[in-house]
Amino acid sequence: MPPSKAVPADIPPECIGGFNLYKSPEMLPTPFGDPFAAVARLHDGPPVFYSPETTRDGQGAWIVVKAEDQRKILQDGASFSSYRRIFSSAIGEDWPVIPLELDPPEHGKYRSLLNPLLSPARMAAMEPFVTAKATELIEGLKARGTDCEVMTEFAFPLAVSVFLNFLGLPDDRLMEFVGWANELLHMGPVERTAAAHKVLDFLDGLIAERRREPTDDFVSFLVTAKLEGRNLTDQEVRSIAVLLFIGGLDTVATAIGLDLYYLACNPDRQQELRDHPDLMPGAVEEMLRAFPSVTPIRTATRDMELQGCPIRKGDLVSCPSMTSSRDPDEFPDPNRIDFAREDNRHVAFSYGPHRCLGSHLARRELIIALDQWFARIPPFRIKPGTAPITFGGFVFGVENLVLDWS
Amino acid sequence: MKVIVDTEKCQGHARCWSLAPELFHLDEGGYIEPGDIIVPAGQEQIASRAVRACPELALKLAEG
Repeated sequence: MPPSKAVPADIPPECIGGFNLYKSPEMLPTPFGDPFAAVARLHDGPPVFYSPETTRDGQGAWIVVKAEDQRKILQDGASFSSYRRIFSSAIGEDWPVIPLELDPPEHGKYRSLLNPLLSPARMAAMEPFVTAKATELIEGLKARGTDCEVMTEFAFPLAVSVFLNFLGLPDDRLMEFVGWANELLHMGPVERTAAAHKVLDFLDGLIAERRREPTDDFVSFLVTAKLEGRNLTDQEVRSIAVLLFIGGLDTVATAIGLDLYYLACNPDRQQELRDHPDLMPGAVEEMLRAFPSVTPIRTATRDMELQGCPIRKGDLVSCPSMTSSRDPDEFPDPNRIDFAREDNRHVAFSYGPHRCLGSHLARRELIIALDQWFARIPPFRIKPGTAPITFGGFVFGVENLVLDWS
Repeated sequence: MKVIVDTEKCQGHARCWSLAPELFHLDEGGYIEPGDIIVPAGQEQIASRAVRACPELALKLAEG
């Protein structure tokens, strides 16, 4: 790729790669696409390269392909900072989403406070609600007919409903929140700013309400929690609540969609899960490995060399989970999807101290969603005449996923 | 056989616990309890699988 004005002068031309997480052909919205196969092909090229205009706001970044390098980077918060103010910049402010955009040791204080709320043991208590909601949604679909658009009629309503339950809110504004999440994560700067204001107005109102009258929900926990002997400030509470809002809505729904897309296109794999329902937890892990959706990005805090590339202080370093999950040095035969795969130390929830806070909830939601789907829906396929659209970017995904089980 | 636990590296993925909850004990936050783990006879295979499932490489197998 010829150097463009988007590339800083100190990036050696031989380090510039042709792949872009937003603009490469397979990353653009594609009917019946497989963006994961496209990203997996990066293992045929250099382990680190510079990709111009590869972030959501058009910045260039070093893309780190190998699992081992990503692990080192994401475990090293001193050399690679998480502070990017992805949310606050949308409204012209400057504060971190907590704990996502904090670095150690500050980060650890908030994680210690929040970890028990989202621990594996605690998440078991969410199971009856998730099961009931998944069942209700699927039975509703069956009552209406023999097809549905998975994202809007199942995946988002389930993920958002679980999130609302966790926050302690009723379902009545569910589709409104889905809209906000979509505007925040997948639309242009104008929509993003408007959505950020809507989210904050809503959360600020909720926080004020819970301060007046605490209940037993998550926001009440935050407004009454003690951190080093003091209460959290309103700004800290909203910074944490924002993370839950962003993290809980889009990614779980995306994973449900990507899994059902794969299974709809592969009837033999559906049959395998129908014949062996006990494979489901392993299958969910394997599909998390094969179809992870998020790309963690860090900022280098010092000059360094990585795989022969000169990384300068201030450069963005991008660690797509989709490349490490398909790394042949980490996973034998990485492009084969094996529901009984062992040694599946996949990176869908990232490596290092920023390991996804919601990972244990996400996992349970995915297993329950697919268990209930398989228990209630007969063999399914992409509805003839329709085409699911896959896309790359900051969060990979699928839309217009119309499944038919007639 | 024993499992050597590097608590500094544990980030609470809980993959070890999900495979062998009777061997790997988590604290209230979902992170592994400190201390090496003696693997009882007959559980070597599941212990070894759990070690290899750790995304952070926080667990190691050793003799003894």
